[in-house]
Amino acid sequence: MLIALPFRDSVDIANIDMLFLLAVFVSAVWLGRGPAVMAVFLSVALFDFFFVPPYLSFAVADAQYLITFAVMLTVGLLTSHLVSLLAERTEQAQESEIQTRLLHALGRDLGVAMNVEQVGTIAAAFLDEFELNCILLTHSKSGLLPVGDTSLPVLETGFAQSACDRNAVIEVDTLAGAGRMIAFLPMAVSDRVLGVLAIGPRQPNAGRIRELRPLLEAAAAQIALIVEHLAQADAIRKSELQANEERLRTSILAALSHDMRTPLTSLVGLADTLAQQKSPSGQIVTETATEIRDQALAMHHILSNLLEMARLQANDMRLNKEWQPIDEVIGSSIRLLASALSGHALEIRIPPGLPLVNFDAVLIERVICNLLENAIKYSTPGTPIRLDVELQPHRLEVAVANRGSGFPAGSCDSVFDLFVRGEPESATGGTGIGLAICQAIIAGHNGQIVAENIPDGACVRFSLPLGTPPTLAEESAS
Amino acid sequence: MTAMLGKVLIVEDEPRIRRFVRDALGREGCETFEAGNVGDGLELAGAQHPDMIVLDLGLPDQSGLELIRNLRTWSSIPILILSARIAEQDKVTALDAGADDYLTKPFGVAELLARVRALLRRRQQESRPSPIRRFGDVEVDLSRRVVQRDGADIRLTPLEYSLLATLLANDGKVLTHRQLLREVWGDGYAGQSHYLKVYIGRLRQKLEPNPTQPQFLLTETGVGYRFQS
Repeated sequence: MLIALPFRDSVDIANIDMLFLLAVFVSAVWLGRGPAVMAVFLSVALFDFFFVPPYLSFAVADAQYLITFAVMLTVGLLTSHLVSLLAERTEQAQESEIQTRLLHALGRDLGVAMNVEQVGTIAAAFLDEFELNCILLTHSKSGLLPVGDTSLPVLETGFAQSACDRNAVIEVDTLAGAGRMIAFLPMAVSDRVLGVLAIGPRQPNAGRIRELRPLLEAAAAQIALIVEHLAQADAIRKSELQANEERLRTSILAALSHDMRTPLTSLVGLADTLAQQKSPSGQIVTETATEIRDQALAMHHILSNLLEMARLQANDMRLNKEWQPIDEVIGSSIRLLASALSGHALEIRIPPGLPLVNFDAVLIERVICNLLENAIKYSTPGTPIRLDVELQPHRLEVAVANRGSGFPAGSCDSVFDLFVRGEPESATGGTGIGLAICQAIIAGHNGQIVAENIPDGACVRFSLPLGTPPTLAEESAS
Repeated sequence: MTAMLGKVLIVEDEPRIRRFVRDALGREGCETFEAGNVGDGLELAGAQHPDMIVLDLGLPDQSGLELIRNLRTWSSIPILILSARIAEQDKVTALDAGADDYLTKPFGVAELLARVRALLRRRQQESRPSPIRRFGDVEVDLSRRVVQRDGADIRLTPLEYSLLATLLANDGKVLTHRQLLREVWGDGYAGQSHYLKVYIGRLRQKLEPNPTQPQFLLTETGVGYRFQS
C-alpha cells in the first residue's frame, strides 16, 4: 500500500482508496478472514496517516474524509467477509470432493478384497488419509474379535462391544490422544451388526473425528456390506467343501463296500454250490464247504459293521425317520436272525395299543439285530432270550435280556465304546463294534441306551422319545 | 435233470458270481444265458425271450437301472435284483422302476433258488389266473371280495381289503411304500407312510397266526412289503 506513496500527488486520492480495497480483497482471498479484517483496519489507518492531509498524522483536516473512512471500513469488512466465506466454501467443496474420491476408491478397493483381513488393511489405508488409526472388529460366534493380528485393549473392547450391542456410534472424547481409539462405529447391514470399526486420531484432536463423522459412517456402511458379502461367500464355500468331502467319503465307502462284498459274495455262493454237490467224497466236502460259507458270512458281518460305523460317522447320522409301530421292526429283526435264533426260545412281550414312534426303521432294525445277536452269542446254550417293550412317560423302552454270565463287573459303561468287548479274552467272536453302532444310532434318535447285569444274565435297554404322531383319518365303516 | 423250469438271463459283471448263479439255476432245471453288461443284457433279453432276469445293479457300462427302465417299456418279465445291503435307496429306486424282487449280497444258493422259483411261479400263475388265494388258515376269494379264516368270515375295511388284494396280486414281489400308497390310497398320500404301516399292522392282527412274527405279510425294512405264500 505504501507503494502508492510516491504517487501521492499525481494519483487521485479516490484511486488510492481503490488500491487499499484491492489489498484488502487480496488478503481476504489468500490469507482468510482474520488477516483480512486486520488489513481493513490497517488500511484505514495507513490511508489516514499517509494520504489524508495533514500527512504523517492521524489528524483529519477535512471532516468529509471521515465518510471515506467509514465507507472504506464497511466495504472492506463486507468484502473480506464475503471473500473469505467464498474461500471457505471452495475449500469445503474441495475437501468433500477429496472425501468422495477417497470413499469411491475405498469401495473399489473393498470390491477386490478376498478376506476380512484384507478389508481391515484397506480400511486402515483409507483412514490413514485422514490421519486416523483404525481397528476392524468382526462379530463371530466367539464374540467381537479384532481382525488380523491387531488387538484392542480391554477398555476399548468394552466400548466396541456396547456399540455392537446397541447398534449405535459411541464416541469417547476423553480418550483422545495417546493412540487410543475414541470412536466406535457399528457396521450393520439391515439392523444386523456384523462388527465394529474402532477409530482413533493420531493427534489429540477429538473434533476431527466429529467433523468426519458422516464420511466415517459411510465408510463403515461400505465395509459392512463387504464383510457381509465375504461371510456369505465363505459360508457357501464351506458348505460346498463339506458337500464335496461327504461325496468323496460316501463314494469311497461305496467303492470299498462293493470291492469287498463282491469276492465275499463269490465265496459264499461258490462254497454253497460245493456244499450242495452230491459227490462220492460227500460228507467231508459238504462240511468243509459249509464251514467256508459260514466263515465268509461271518467276515461279511464284520465288514458290514465296520462299514456301517464308518457310514454313521461320516454322514453325521442322516436319519430317514418315519412314524411307525415298533413291533414291525422287531418282527423283521427276528426274521433276519431266524437261523441264529433257532437254538433259543424267544420270549417277546409287546403291550397292545402302543403309539407310533418316529424313527429310522433300517437303523433301529440294526440296533435290535445287534442286541439280539449279542444276547445269543453270550447266553448259555438253550436258554431263552427275552425282548420286552414297555411304554414309559415320554419314551418307549425296548429291553433285550439273556441268561448267561452277564457283563464283566464294572464294564457296563464301557461296553458301548468302539472296539471294547464285554469279555476281552473270550473265545466268542466279535469286534466290539456292535454296541458302539447301537449307541451311535440311539444317540442320533435322541434316545438312551444302557447295559446292566440282571440276576443270572445281562440286559441292554434302549428308549426312543415319544412325540405327537400324525393323525390317521379313519375310514367310514365298510 | 428235472423238467425245464424256465429260461433265465443273468446280467452280472463278476464272472465268479455269474458262475455259481448259473450252476445253481442250471441244476434247478433252468436254461441260462449270461451277459456282463447292460448292452449285451438287453440284446439277449430281446433275442432269447427269457422268463426272468437276474440283474446286478452295478454294471460296467451303465447302471442296471437303465436296463430295467428300457426293458419295462416293452416287457413285463420278472426281474430279480442283486444288490448290497447298505443301499436301501438303490433297491427302492430299482423296485419303483419296475424290478420285482431283490437279493442282498452275499446270498446263499438256497435263497437265490427260493426267489427265482417264486418269481417263475408267479409268472406261470399269471397265465392261469384264479380268484381264490390260500395262505395259512386264510382263504381269499378275490371275485366275491370275501376273506375267511378257518372258515369264518373276517371283516376288512375297504382300504384293508384293497391293500390285501394289491399284495396278493403281486405274490412274491416286493412292493415299495410308494407303490402301495399310490395303489391303495392314491397319489396324495405319497409321504404318508404311517397309514401303510398302521394298516399292515391291522391286516396282520386279523390274518397272521403270530402278528409280531408275520409269515405272509412280510416287512422289507426301509423298502416296502411283500406277500409270500
